[in-house]
Amino acid sequence: MDLSLESAEKPVSFAKETGVITVGQYVLIKLPSKGLKIVETRSDGVINLGKFGSFEVNGILGFPFGQSFEISADKKVSPVKSLVFELEEEELENMDQETSRESTPILELMKNSSETNRDIIDIGSKIQGITSEEIELFKKQNNDNGEILISKIIESHKGFNKKTKYSQEKYITRKQQKFMKKFTVEYLSSSNLLKYYEEKDLSKILNLSEETLGLMLNLLDIRPGGKYFVVDETGGLILYAMMERMKGEGLIVVGHENEHPNFNLLQYSNYTESAINSMIKPINWLQFFEPENEKLIFNEQTKEAIEELRPQKKLQYYRRQKRIIEINKTIDFVTGKDSQFDGLLYCSTIYPTTLIPNIITKIKGSRPIVVYNQYKEILVELQHLLSKNLNVLAPSIMETRARPYQTIPGRIHPLMSMRGGGGYLLWGTRVYPKEGGVIAVGRGFVRRNERKKQKLEKEEDNDDNNKNN
Amino acid sequence: MSAFLEYKEVIGEGDFVLAFIGRDNIKPIIVKKDDILNTRYGAFAHNSMIGEKYGSQITSLKGYGFIHLLHPTPELWTLSLPHRTQIVYTPDSSYIIQRLNITAGSRVIEAGTGSGSFTHSFARTLSKTGQLFTYEFHESRYQQAKAEFELHSLTNVIATCRDVCKKGFVIDGYESGCDADSIFLDLPSPWEAIAHLPQVISKSKRVGICCFSPCIEQVIKTAEALKNHGWSNIEMVEIAGRKWEARKEMIRDVSDVIGRLKDIKRRKEEGIEIRDKLQNQNQNQKVGEKRGNEDSNEKEQFVKKTRIEREEKGFNPFGKGLRIKEGDEAYNWKDISEPETEVKSHTSYLTFAFKNAPTKPIVNHQS
Ligand SMILES: C[S@@+](CC[C@H](N)C(=O)[O-])C[C@H]1O[C@@H](n2cnc3c(N)ncnc32)[C@H](O)[C@@H]1O
Repeated sequence: MDLSLESAEKPVSFAKETGVITVGQYVLIKLPSKGLKIVETRSDGVINLGKFGSFEVNGILGFPFGQSFEISADKKVSPVKSLVFELEEEELENMDQETSRESTPILELMKNSSETNRDIIDIGSKIQGITSEEIELFKKQNNDNGEILISKIIESHKGFNKKTKYSQEKYITRKQQKFMKKFTVEYLSSSNLLKYYEEKDLSKILNLSEETLGLMLNLLDIRPGGKYFVVDETGGLILYAMMERMKGEGLIVVGHENEHPNFNLLQYSNYTESAINSMIKPINWLQFFEPENEKLIFNEQTKEAIEELRPQKKLQYYRRQKRIIEINKTIDFVTGKDSQFDGLLYCSTIYPTTLIPNIITKIKGSRPIVVYNQYKEILVELQHLLSKNLNVLAPSIMETRARPYQTIPGRIHPLMSMRGGGGYLLWGTRVYPKEGGVIAVGRGFVRRNERKKQKLEKEEDNDDNNKNN
Repeated sequence: MSAFLEYKEVIGEGDFVLAFIGRDNIKPIIVKKDDILNTRYGAFAHNSMIGEKYGSQITSLKGYGFIHLLHPTPELWTLSLPHRTQIVYTPDSSYIIQRLNITAGSRVIEAGTGSGSFTHSFARTLSKTGQLFTYEFHESRYQQAKAEFELHSLTNVIATCRDVCKKGFVIDGYESGCDADSIFLDLPSPWEAIAHLPQVISKSKRVGICCFSPCIEQVIKTAEALKNHGWSNIEMVEIAGRKWEARKEMIRDVSDVIGRLKDIKRRKEEGIEIRDKLQNQNQNQKVGEKRGNEDSNEKEQFVKKTRIEREEKGFNPFGKGLRIKEGDEAYNWKDISEPETEVKSHTSYLTFAFKNAPTKPIVNHQS
């Protein structure tokens, strides 16, 4: 039984290049505007970043992940130090001392600044002496060069010299976010995939935060070679993160509520379909609850009949056969009466109290039960239920929140805003309650009941003790 | 075989078990024939553990009181390990592992080892295909940690006794570096260790670092050192972990309160009547002794009557005085979540940074 789900066609590769940008990979693109994009690095392809321009894929290959680039007019890229220009503390000091350090046009413009912002008169947009029409014209005349444009904007800003160096820097950063044709290429880790959905549509990943994802994966005690039961309603983000951690070893059975499971996000995983299929085995709830009716029957054809099929049909026949065998195997494996799994991770909008008690019995003793929900109230109800269910030991509800800081020495402070929410986790351990009280077989019935009562009282004591701690 | 790297189902002699006695009382034991585990809930024979499945509940030698026998995990170990230093707890360690993208096969440097809490979590996640290099300069702490890693068969951990700020990270057998892709520094002056990293980090992968420091002054020095040594994307975050327990709060309706106030008033009046009656009776005591019995009868009946009233009304006419079991079905309850009485409001600041791999020039095969 144990090996029945392993695919016969191994080995499939789970090795991935995480150091340098290679061809045929999904990667994350960070834009100066803080926007994110997922793109595929097709050989000879051209990637369009909207108002930030287009570039040829070949130009970024071989560079390390984390590298920033600037796009020039002919869709070529050149590597640059960073996405937006950041002033170093010492550069600011050095500027005053007229050192021999190489200077950019923007740095030159910053040579005049004020100690404080007190001379700035707030007259709104009038202070900016250049109109947006003029900007457009200037852009055309200068081949879309962001740096020249920003210098021009600064030159025509009447109050620029009255700003402090810090406010000048802030101003320049904002202009760069708008006009620079730069981008950074990042490896598409599970955290980066999550960041992308954070920008795009948080509800798709059920509001899950990076810190909650990390906590859930650790609490689940994921090990390569483990067999896990997972319900993942984030479109596959959790599955992706688990596959990354397990590097191809082990199994993930995925409970889902549709005819076909939805793991859209796995398309970005850079794993081949056969690699994904070798690790991930879907089962829907109807198959889970009524395995007898749901096992598929395959009409096997005679060898001769198969031989006569057209090549296309033949391929279809074998594919169908393989799929049905896989599904039946999964159904058998999951619904067998022994506990099979090394952990349960439940992340679904199906009300957990209605479903989880049925899955728990499939989990091996002393393995983690981890349930995610956006709302604490739902987990509170689940904890009440599980506290009565002797199959789960010490369930409790956990929350984790990361608070990011502006990390510039001398100006360290928490960011002014951060995302709210991020969800909650219920964490407990599957246990086997002792059956039939505590007395060894063969003792008198009366005494047995007596002992049972004693045990129950003691149990309550233990419980009280647990609660008090 | 390590219980932190591989799963086991049935407990045998020599196996590592975490005896769960209560939420804050988990005791690590190695199962040994004829040994006894003594707890406040009784004595438990190791013999009764052998052959049981992990997750089983066993009773004490006396037949009552019980414990659960749990399979070790780094998360449970963190709750039960002997503290020799401050340790890193799961909300911090899990975030660091996620953010540094540590997976099976990762190669990680950790300094200092301390109590080895994070070491176990790293070792599990990077698994048998990965490698953890951990450094501790305190001799006896190093010895204890090393012995513990051996006892737990953490074969993927190399522990070294070393002052990494002075002597760096290069060790015998790894003279050309550890090829590390992730670094975790939990020591008082990480900025002194950062200078030694180039010799041991990966030359082909992107490398991530996290420095774990309780004070903001340390963060400033760390961020400066990181910048000076060519690390980028420097960002500090703080993690706040919270725990909640599901409880029930009684729904006390104001109409019940009014009912109770009315009830008090009525009983007071009745009470006055009875008292007057009793007083009269007391004055007449000398006349007929046998009346005493009837008095207590009357009192008893009064108490009984209020109890029945209470049950019928569904509220407690005595107000808060009477102890009611949480969740008592005679009353209405609201599910609520209760925070811990004391929380870890600050563990440390986590300063992250990254270093890109060197550029690998691509030979353009198409041209
Ligand atoms: C807070 S503890 C680490 C706790 C550990 N992360 C855990 O989770 O158990 C810090 C440890 O770093 C060690 N240490 C401090 N400076 C060191 C140095 N320069 N080289 C090696 N170890 C050092 C200390 O002796 C101490 O044991």
